[in-house]
Amino acid sequence: MSDNKILYSTGSLEEFPEEISKITNREDSHLKLTPNNSDSGLAKLVLTLVELIRKLVEKQAMRRVDGGSLTDDEIERLGETLMNLELKMEELKKHFNLTDRDLNINLGPLGDLM
Amino acid sequence: MNTLLEGMKGIFDEKLFTVASDQICAVVSDTISAGLTPERSNAINYAGVIEILAQQFTLLPMRFGSVMESTDAIGKMLERNYEEIQKNLQKVENKVEYGLKILCNSGKLREELRPKAEGIFQLNEEHNSEVKNSIYRDYVNKKLIEHRLEELLLSYIDSVIAQITSKIDQLNAERKFKKIITETTIIDAVFLLGKEQENSLIGIVDDFKNQYHALNFVLTGPWPPYSFVEITIK
Repeated sequence: MSDNKILYSTGSLEEFPEEISKITNREDSHLKLTPNNSDSGLAKLVLTLVELIRKLVEKQAMRRVDGGSLTDDEIERLGETLMNLELKMEELKKHFNLTDRDLNINLGPLGDLM
Repeated sequence: MNTLLEGMKGIFDEKLFTVASDQICAVVSDTISAGLTPERSNAINYAGVIEILAQQFTLLPMRFGSVMESTDAIGKMLERNYEEIQKNLQKVENKVEYGLKILCNSGKLREELRPKAEGIFQLNEEHNSEVKNSIYRDYVNKKLIEHRLEELLLSYIDSVIAQITSKIDQLNAERKFKKIITETTIIDAVFLLGKEQENSLIGIVDDFKNQYHALNFVLTGPWPPYSFVEITIK
């Protein structure tokens, strides 16, 4: 391949460490299941899906609040539910020693999952 | 073609050869499918062959790791998909692909948009002054501001894409955009156009840099038409 395919660029790539780390180290987002870590590997996978669904529910709920179709009482109950879900998720992440970054799988050209 | 292939090697240093069907041919090499992993060296080797061939022939790059049982199966696949392959070859003839990545500090961009998101929120609250305060209501309000911030960010990205589209359309180029909101990237775009239009494309990107000071642009190419082949192999 040609050595230099960059025709035009502005700014320094050093300003974007996230991009560089994605190119040079794609290991972080891989699910590494071995006989010794199957519990935590599976927990990471399951919690990633749960977190994705929680975020989707939250997004849909905010659309409805924004649309003005909910009463004050419904918004109050919604707030309580969403807050409890977030707290429960935090507990689970702490239990399995996972961070937000661990649950955000990089889907390559599609970008990050969340 | 065969002379050119003799000077190159396929994945795992295997010999390259062609399987033809009428006016088109597939460039292939033998492999053991179990051993074909997308390692850096394999990917570079694969891309290198495509790039050299693209300098002399109109080609459709196959997805890395496409494996068929035998040369006979490849020949039959070419026959079954002949029409679609020809249609795609005509589309990319004398054209190359360019990639444009638009980078920015999306956290900083969010902070710039935050006053606007909070402004919309406060305006709505003034209209609704009888709403009682509680921790749950505050929680929803906080999430609502974040939601509006995301909407504003997407709307900003749409406006950048619309601007680029209007300029790129003047080159009669095919284009595809992906909104990718990470900490550093907002747009990944690819264009298909004649190589002689490369300088015009660079000029357009340069104009955008002057228009959008907060954004950084990385234009790459020319590439074989990786993103513009649209065939579902039968």
